[in-house]
Amino acid sequence: MQIVIASGKGGVGKSSITASLLYLLKDDYRLIAVDADAEAPNLGLLLGVTNWEEEREHVGAKIARINPETCIRCGICRERCPYECIYMDEYGNYVVNELTCEGCNVCGLVCPVPGTITLEQVRSGVIRKATTKYGFPIISAQLDVGRPESGKLVTEEKEWASRIMKEQGLEHMIVDSAAGIGCQVIASVGGADVAILIAEPTPASLSDVQRVYKVVQHFHEPAYLIVNKADINPGFTKLREWAESEGIPILGEIPYDSSIPKSMSMLKPFVEAFPDSKASKAIREVAEVIKEEIIRG
Amino acid sequence: MQIAVSGGKGGTGKSTVAVNIAVELAKKFKLVLADLDVEAPNDHILLGVNLGNEREVHQFMPKFDYSKCIKCRKCAEVCEEHAIVTLKDGTPFLMPTLCSGCRACEIVCPVPGAIQEGSRLIGHTYVTETPYNFILVTGKLREGEERSMPLVVATKRRVKELSWDLLIVDTAAGTGNTVSKAIEGSELLIAVTEPTPLGIHDTELILELGRLMEIETWVVINRSDLGDVNEVYRRAERYGAEVIAEIPYSENIVKTYVSGTPIVTTNFPEAEIFRKIADKIYNFLR
Repeated sequence: MQIVIASGKGGVGKSSITASLLYLLKDDYRLIAVDADAEAPNLGLLLGVTNWEEEREHVGAKIARINPETCIRCGICRERCPYECIYMDEYGNYVVNELTCEGCNVCGLVCPVPGTITLEQVRSGVIRKATTKYGFPIISAQLDVGRPESGKLVTEEKEWASRIMKEQGLEHMIVDSAAGIGCQVIASVGGADVAILIAEPTPASLSDVQRVYKVVQHFHEPAYLIVNKADINPGFTKLREWAESEGIPILGEIPYDSSIPKSMSMLKPFVEAFPDSKASKAIREVAEVIKEEIIRG
Repeated sequence: MQIAVSGGKGGTGKSTVAVNIAVELAKKFKLVLADLDVEAPNDHILLGVNLGNEREVHQFMPKFDYSKCIKCRKCAEVCEEHAIVTLKDGTPFLMPTLCSGCRACEIVCPVPGAIQEGSRLIGHTYVTETPYNFILVTGKLREGEERSMPLVVATKRRVKELSWDLLIVDTAAGTGNTVSKAIEGSELLIAVTEPTPLGIHDTELILELGRLMEIETWVVINRSDLGDVNEVYRRAERYGAEVIAEIPYSENIVKTYVSGTPIVTTNFPEAEIFRKIADKIYNFLR
């Protein structure tokens, strides 16, 4: 089974909760973890991974380059670039901003001088594999700074994870998705069997989780909700009301607990670092519900 | 003038910093705040305003006129997104969600009129008056759309229609090319970070982006009591970035955050921290 954990908003505790759930499910199931936040991967850190066993470069991205020797400075490339990535430098040369180029090659197609603008393949990032000290493997990715295609990295991560699942006879893939609703999240949610949404009771988090839920609905996946930092905003009932109105079962509520940021500094799942904390008690209950309702159900 | 607030990791407090310095700096500049976190825009929620002046953002999509198409497959060959697939006989079909609207297919099509102008709604932009004497411009990607770059570009274009002396952009999380697109044109980059190992890891990436873009970069350490701030100082120094503020974890900040009242408009002592950040920016820009 493939379970994706998403939140729409960053910083609501998605990776902390994922790390603790992995810790709690590892003894009963054969798992693989996928950190699908290729722009800010953190799950490996939270699971204490320091050495990556295998690293593969992803050379998918393309970047346009302009040869100043043959360029006739007509400016058509700059005019036609759909993302306004071409500018004129101080010497009067047209230059592609490599940190914003999407690699669509429109500039190359409209350029009247053949060979002046070329589309070059560049590295967009790396995908890595490690075995955590808990026994299960993790796949993670890191997009290079300023590169496009983070969604493609995530797709490749999931393909690699699927192969390992087959080779090692693993049962479940747990995917920790990125913030937002864009390509990385769509690549994370697509193909999953179940989505677990994490939200905190704030208007901003509600707004973002509603957006990611629409993406989940698009893939017709059943969704569940975990309310994190459940007590930080007493009186805010809209998150629970929304879940109820959409028929999204709430798997549990986790109170704000300073042991969570502390455990992050220790690079351990909070349920391992502070097993007696109130957050740990709550996540254990959530894990039981997940086993019962989602995995066995 | 333009400055950017970014942070690498999600949830570090970018929007809190952006909104509060906007309220403060709007006292000195004719100001626009642009929320370019188009996948999860929240500045309006933090400001307690409803989004106004909605405008649709449409993106080009090829529409094939099969009576004219000569099935040469050029459109499919040139599509870097592989959004156009062809049947055995060369008949092209579009997979709409993969299309980035770049028009490469239209450019190479040898038959006039075989590819016609189609379009798809990919999101919205908004221009909202705030009670704090500045205008908020927001980009919001439509759910199910994969590509945020066109919406970031459209939102920045809408910003250009307005007049302002200072533009503050609030970016998405991460350090991919949509974040650099948002930051582009800034004279100052403010990286909001947390002193946790995770926060520090991501901060390094945003500092690297600032270095590559050759933009003066400052660091604001949020929730500064939740980890080792010295580590942040060390990393900042390595990139020649100055740490300009430490914001401790504060229930008052959480309270004002959830109530849609920027903390600089309150009497809470923490308001002073944001005012000092704004002062420092003011002195830098002057």
